[in-house]
Amino acid sequence: MLPRSIWAANLGVEVPGKAGMIVRSARFLDLETPGEFFDSWITPLPHFFVRNHMHEPSTWDPDSWNLSISGEVDHPLSLNLAELTKMETHTVTNTLECAGNGRAFQQPKVPGVQWQRGAVGTARFSGPRLRDLLQRAGIKATGKHVMFRGRDEVPGKVPPFVRSIPVEKATDADTLIATQMNGVPLPRHHGFPARALVPGWIGAASCKWLTEIKVLDQEFDGNFMKPGYRMPNHPVSPGGEVNLADTHAATSLGVKSIIAQPTEGSSMKSHSIRIHGAAWAGEAAVARLQISTDGGTTWSDARLGSQQARYAWRLWDHVWRPQRPGEYIIMSRATDDQGHTQPQSAAWNPSGYLYNAVDQVKVYVLA
Amino acid sequence: MSWLKRFDSRLWAGAIAWLAFPVLLQAQSPELPPGPLQAKVRTACTECHDSHIIVQQRLNDKAWSKEVDKMIKWGALVDSSDRNAFVGYLSVNFPPNKAPEPEERAGPGKKK
Repeated sequence: MLPRSIWAANLGVEVPGKAGMIVRSARFLDLETPGEFFDSWITPLPHFFVRNHMHEPSTWDPDSWNLSISGEVDHPLSLNLAELTKMETHTVTNTLECAGNGRAFQQPKVPGVQWQRGAVGTARFSGPRLRDLLQRAGIKATGKHVMFRGRDEVPGKVPPFVRSIPVEKATDADTLIATQMNGVPLPRHHGFPARALVPGWIGAASCKWLTEIKVLDQEFDGNFMKPGYRMPNHPVSPGGEVNLADTHAATSLGVKSIIAQPTEGSSMKSHSIRIHGAAWAGEAAVARLQISTDGGTTWSDARLGSQQARYAWRLWDHVWRPQRPGEYIIMSRATDDQGHTQPQSAAWNPSGYLYNAVDQVKVYVLA
Repeated sequence: MSWLKRFDSRLWAGAIAWLAFPVLLQAQSPELPPGPLQAKVRTACTECHDSHIIVQQRLNDKAWSKEVDKMIKWGALVDSSDRNAFVGYLSVNFPPNKAPEPEERAGPGKKK
């Protein structure tokens, strides 16, 4: 239950099933998970972040839903929901993170939803393997990328939200067409009745409200592949320009941790303070989480939670016993099993993607 | 166990019933700052999205210029004689050194 003071200050936006989430945008709906909700390995659906680029589909009749598979295939096909749900199902526990999570911390500031820490969550996604569908259709030798199109309703002349992933990732055994999330049908904000689930990759790869899969002979060249969701090939000076020709599509998430609690600016009287959060590493595994309570001068290992899965975050916690009252900078730093450690400052890019700097919060310990 | 084996018609019926609830999202959009361009910016921008996404930006005039041009390309109805004034209004009211917007939480909504 949230403190009443939070409700009292925020009576503007009502989102059934998503109470207490931070409102980044109401139309289109963009909701961020606040620190106090990062308390379970599997994120409950009411606390799972929402990132919509467009309006959600206004009609929801699963009987009229169809998924087509076409393009560079031998046998184009179309399935209705009953046919899709008859296929063999697999479950992948995946940490889904918006590529723009942490954008608010970029300096200089960049445009976009100003996510802080909470455009990330972990859920059990279930559905048929994409490769089983693609095998039915028969990918031609010319098929290099697999494109997803959803039913997002596009306003004005905004380009449709269409993206593609390489055929190697599309045919990975863990890439799904998910129809369930945490054991129930996908909620509407998360893509009912079916979405792509591209584990370990940026959330934008996992297209929601999916209706069309098309095998292409090259990477899709629409707005949300280019210039959208591109990373510079080389380091960019903060605030600098980037030549679009010298970029690549953002794919896997990097190693990253967040401090869920205590939150920035909080005051505590306790002499025994629990610091906790989550750490993830895309397609790699988190190997270590270190905490500093002196602004990065010294580091201690935090305890990693026992629950783990290939693409899922590890929760972590650490008990801190400050010796005296005062202002402290707490930091968290994750290292993955490939030897990558979070950088002290994130590489800047013009859209603030894949921010993964060492996390830090300033707190006050009272006498 | 396969979830699909348990994903029977009753579950679908429940899902559909839940989805049949009217959209209860009631968006109250932050007020844009006063000024000669306030009404025009509100009209042009909030046709497609609410003002939350505007008021959280902290950009210099060069970045606002790019954003305004992108939105015009994407269908925002901005008279060409107003384009520079739009950029000026947004740059003055939402510059890089302005404090972040206060955090806002979603309420629980009302079931019908």
